[in-house]
Amino acid sequence: MDVNIVLILLYGSLVGFLSGLVGVGGGFLITPLLIFTGIPPIVAVSTGSAQMAGTASGASYLHWRHGNIDFKMGLILLIGSWLGGGFGVYLAKVLLRAGQFGNVVVFLYVILLGFIGVSMLIESVRAVARAGKPGAGNAGAKAASNSLLRNLVQRLPWQMTFPASEVRMSAAGPLLLGAAVGILTSLMGVGGGFIMVPVMIYVLEMPTKIVVGTSLFQLLFTTAAVSIMQAGINYSVDPFLALLLILGSVLGTKLGARLGARLPAEKLRLILALVVVAVAAKMIVTLLVPPAHIHSMSVEVQ
Amino acid sequence: MMTRWLRCLLISGWMLHNPSWADEPLVVVPETGEVRITTDFTGTDVKAVGSMRGPADLIIKLVGPQQTAILSRETKLGPFWVEGETMKMEGAPSLLFLYATAPIASILPPAEQQKYGLILEGVWVRVAPQLKARAADDWRKAFFRLKERQGYYLEDDTAIKVFGNRLFIADMRLPGDLQVGTYTIETLVVKSGKVVGHNVGEFKVRLAGIERRVWEAAHDHSWLFGSLFTLLAMLLGLALNAVPFRRAR
Repeated sequence: MDVNIVLILLYGSLVGFLSGLVGVGGGFLITPLLIFTGIPPIVAVSTGSAQMAGTASGASYLHWRHGNIDFKMGLILLIGSWLGGGFGVYLAKVLLRAGQFGNVVVFLYVILLGFIGVSMLIESVRAVARAGKPGAGNAGAKAASNSLLRNLVQRLPWQMTFPASEVRMSAAGPLLLGAAVGILTSLMGVGGGFIMVPVMIYVLEMPTKIVVGTSLFQLLFTTAAVSIMQAGINYSVDPFLALLLILGSVLGTKLGARLGARLPAEKLRLILALVVVAVAAKMIVTLLVPPAHIHSMSVEVQ
Repeated sequence: MMTRWLRCLLISGWMLHNPSWADEPLVVVPETGEVRITTDFTGTDVKAVGSMRGPADLIIKLVGPQQTAILSRETKLGPFWVEGETMKMEGAPSLLFLYATAPIASILPPAEQQKYGLILEGVWVRVAPQLKARAADDWRKAFFRLKERQGYYLEDDTAIKVFGNRLFIADMRLPGDLQVGTYTIETLVVKSGKVVGHNVGEFKVRLAGIERRVWEAAHDHSWLFGSLFTLLAMLLGLALNAVPFRRAR
């Protein structure tokens, strides 16, 4: 496989730039970008998790220093996501053997990115139009999720108190949430923050500050575990690729954070939404346009 | 799968046997006995130098070690193009270069070409799982087409230069992504539609340097490698990210 080093550094810094600019992990962008470059999907997914373990460690450390991590909650999430992650790595192996891994990843991404991109786009265009009147956006989402899911979490067994988050609920809630996120990490190389954060805020009703720290803590150890399992089971972590991505993302994060301090928040979200929609559109196009060469070849991995 | 930057190659050990039978003496000597190639390997030139007696045509056949290739075909699923069937192509050489002083078809009759394996698309390949003859043939054709497009199978009648009907030099350009293993060079002297001289030599291609150790570790001790590397990534992220941020706040 012939890969351009400069291009990989650029990808790393682009994703780092976005995460510095708008505060997202960027795992959902790295994997498709690597796949576009021609990296086999399993390598892109696995190396993406290694890279996220690297970038999340710095951020987690900061949140830990600020006391923003609910360790009890984080640990239960983590048990769930390790179980889910292990199952996901095994699922990846089965799909790889059936020759279907690439297809599953691409379709999951199209659905996921399309959904996130479009909803972000709608939200941020509205916010830009409103020109920064705060507070209105969250009420609707909160009311909607209040009803069903939250009632369910309140009724399940294993009720316990989480003092750091000041909530009381069933341990099954975070366990299941963690498992779902773990499977996504193995199959898509994403940290799952985009699912975790809204669920913790709206369904589990945790304070936002604690949510970000706890989600990062969970992300760090999930991606680390998945990265180890992918290397162990599928031999699919490329160390050189991962190091390049980490270096790139560190550079990008600094630039992004500097620029992010100057731009208004809704414009930042609009930028991110446009990038996400563009990536989703590109993936849809590659699915719809007939390929120039119908056959493709790779060398068997021992 | 491992990327090409892992491929740090060492080509060495030209072991030339005496001509197995020789109407004409023929000696092929490589320009260098050992070629060491470093990290950013993008391919290399191998020169073969030899002599022959009197005017004749030459064919040099370079064969790479066997390699199992996975061939997949895109199929239409509703409006989408997705990866469909996947086949294993087994037993074919990873690389096959046929160099000659003239188009091979013009200097050797088909039977002789067959006998010495000088037809690119006549290489034996096993398609797995087993298919009906016609379906397997489609996959074989696709395999050869891809091999030729990627430059691993080729026929070239300009690469051998002959001086005064006695000395010859062949320039063989090897691509960057080489299968490790033993490569053989077979040299044939051809006169009036017959092979009159024959010589076989070989060299080895193997991974070398740091990349080789990393590659071996990743495969032989995959769990240890995964754990250590992930830890390294986390420490690197911590060192590069947390420290500068703390200063900024």
